[in-house]
Amino acid sequence: MSLVIKNLHARVKDGAPILNGINLEIPKGEVHAIMGPNGSGKSTLSKVLCGHPDYEVTAGSAELDGQDLFAMSVDERSRAGLFLAFQYPVEVPGVTNANFMRAALKARLPEGEEVDAVSFYKELRGKMKQLGMDPKFTSRAVNEGFSGGEKKRNDILQMMMLNPSYAILDETDSGLDVDALRIVSDGVNAMRAPFRSFLVITHYKRLLDYICPDVVHVLYQGQIVRTGGFELVDHIEQHGFDFLKTTEE
Amino acid sequence: MDFPQNMSMEDAFALAEAEAKLNAALQESKERFDKAEMPNRLNEDWRFGRPHVYAKEWAALFTHNENSFEQIRLENGGEAAARLTAEDDDLRQTEMLMPTIGSDALLALHLKSFGDGYALYIEEDTKEPIRLGYVTRSVCAPATFIMVAPGVKAEVDINYGCLESGAIFATCNVQVAEGAELRLRTHGHGESTGGRCMLITNIQNMGGKVAHLTSYEGLRWVREETVAEIYAAGSETKLFSANKLGGDAVLDQHTKQIHHVGGATSDLLYKNVLDDNATATFAGNIYVAPGAHNTDAYQSNRNLMLSEDATVNSLPGLEILADKVRCSHGSASGPMDEEQLFYLLSRGIPKYEAHQLIAEGFLHEAEEKFRS
Repeated sequence: MSLVIKNLHARVKDGAPILNGINLEIPKGEVHAIMGPNGSGKSTLSKVLCGHPDYEVTAGSAELDGQDLFAMSVDERSRAGLFLAFQYPVEVPGVTNANFMRAALKARLPEGEEVDAVSFYKELRGKMKQLGMDPKFTSRAVNEGFSGGEKKRNDILQMMMLNPSYAILDETDSGLDVDALRIVSDGVNAMRAPFRSFLVITHYKRLLDYICPDVVHVLYQGQIVRTGGFELVDHIEQHGFDFLKTTEE
Repeated sequence: MDFPQNMSMEDAFALAEAEAKLNAALQESKERFDKAEMPNRLNEDWRFGRPHVYAKEWAALFTHNENSFEQIRLENGGEAAARLTAEDDDLRQTEMLMPTIGSDALLALHLKSFGDGYALYIEEDTKEPIRLGYVTRSVCAPATFIMVAPGVKAEVDINYGCLESGAIFATCNVQVAEGAELRLRTHGHGESTGGRCMLITNIQNMGGKVAHLTSYEGLRWVREETVAEIYAAGSETKLFSANKLGGDAVLDQHTKQIHHVGGATSDLLYKNVLDDNATATFAGNIYVAPGAHNTDAYQSNRNLMLSEDATVNSLPGLEILADKVRCSHGSASGPMDEEQLFYLLSRGIPKYEAHQLIAEGFLHEAEEKFRS
C-alpha cells in the first residue's frame, strides 16, 4: 500500500514543462521530505497530484493504493485518502469553518447520512485546542482575515479532521513563528501512523528537525536527483543547493 | 347609496363622504394611469428591463384583475398593526406621493386596487419581528405602511408568496423617526419559476437607522424600485439584496439613495448569484442635493456568474451637487473563483455542493451586514 509515482511529466496548461520524469514511492507509514531550490517543481508536484486545473499531466502515472490517481476527479482523490495542506490556503468568504468541515465530512458518508452535530463539534473543538486555535474560528469564514500562521494551522486542523491516508504538506512551515511551527509539527507527529504517510515539502531544516522524515528527496529541474536520509538535509543546510549545479556541470 | 335604517344622520354623512372620497380617489388613479406614460424602451429607468414585454404584461394583469389573496398573515403585530381599508384616505394619499423609478403609470394601477395590506404604527420596541405575509395564486396588490416612532427599535419581516403563476404588486412606505431603528426584511418567493413580483418601496429616514434586505427566489420576473430619502443629519440607511437566480428568471432592480440634507450616511450592497439563463439588472443612483455637505454614501453591485448564458446589466451612478462629500460606487461581475473551488474540491466536497457553498457564502455578506 503506497503512493507510487512513475515517470511523471507535467506542465502548466499550454505552457512550459515543469515536471520532467518524477519517480517516487511513498509506502504507508513513512514520512518523506522533498527539498529543492525555488522553481524546481515542488509545489507543482503537489498540485498535479491533487488535480489542480492549471496543470496537465503529459506522461507518467500515479497510483494511490493501486488506484489510478489521474483517473479520479479532485474531490474523488480527496475522498480516496489524499490531502494537500496548501502553501497559500485559500480564503472562502461567507462559508464558516464549521460548515466547510461538515460538508467535507458528509461527503465521506454514505448518501443520505448526516454528520452527528454533537460529536462533530466535540472533535473539532478538541483538535482546535490541540493546535492552539481560538474556538471562535469555527464560526468564522474559512481563512478570511486569518494571519498566514492561522491559515496554516487551519489547514492542519482540516487534515486532522479528515484523517487522510496520504498527506502532502506544501511549505506548511512558511509564515509560521517558532511556537506555531512546534504546535503544527506536534499535530503532524501525533498523526503519524502505520496506515498513513506524509510528503513534506519544505525549504528549511527547522520543520524537518521536528518532523524527522524517514526519507529525503531533492527535486531539481523537475526531477528527483538525490534521495537519502537526514544527512541530506544537513548537507543542504550547510552548502545550499549549489552542489546540484556542480553535479550538472 | 343605501344606509342601514338605524344609522344616525352623522354616520350616514361620514359614510357618504368616505365613499365619495374613495370614488374620487379611484377616478384620480384612473386619470393618473391614463396620463402617465407607460414604461417604454426610451425610458432610461427601464433600460434592459424589456418594458414592451414585462410592463405591458403587468399593466394588463392589474387592469383586468381584482385583488385575490390566498392568504394575508400577520404575526406579532399586537397593537401596532391595523388592517388597511380602501377608505383610509391618509394612507392612500401617502401612496399617491410615493416616488417611483420609472413606474408612475403602474403605481396608478396599484392605487386602483388600494385597500389590502397593513399599517404598522410601531411605538414600542418589538421583541419579536412583526411578520407579514401576502400570498396569491392569482394577482394581488398589497400595501404596507410602516411608521417607527422616535427612539423605538423595530424589526419587520414581509413575505410575498406567488403560488403557481401568481403575481404580487406590492408597495411599502416606510417612515423612520429620529433616533428610531428599523430592520426590514423583504422576501419574495415562488413555488416554481412561474411567479412574478413587483415591489415599490419608499423609505423616509428622518434621523434614524434603517437596514433593508430584499431577497427573491423561484420567481420568473421581479421588478424592484427602492427609493431611500434621507431628511435628517445623522441618519443611517443601509440597503441590501441577496438573490439566487436560475432558469430564465429576470431580476430588475432600481435604487435611489437621495440625500436631501448633509451629515448622513447611506450604504448599498446588492449581490446576485446567477445560473442557467438568468438575467439581473441593477441600476442605482446616489443623489446628493445642493448643500447636502458631509454626505457619506456608497453603492456596490456584485454578481457571481455560474453560467456563461447568464446576463448581468449593472449601472451604478452618482449625481453629486454638493461639496465635501464622500461618495463612491462599484460593480463587479465574474465567474466563480477557480482557486476557491479547487480548495473545496480538494477537501472531498463534490462539485455541486462546492458550488452551492461558495454561492451561499457569496450572498452571506449581505445577510451578515444586514444583521450587524
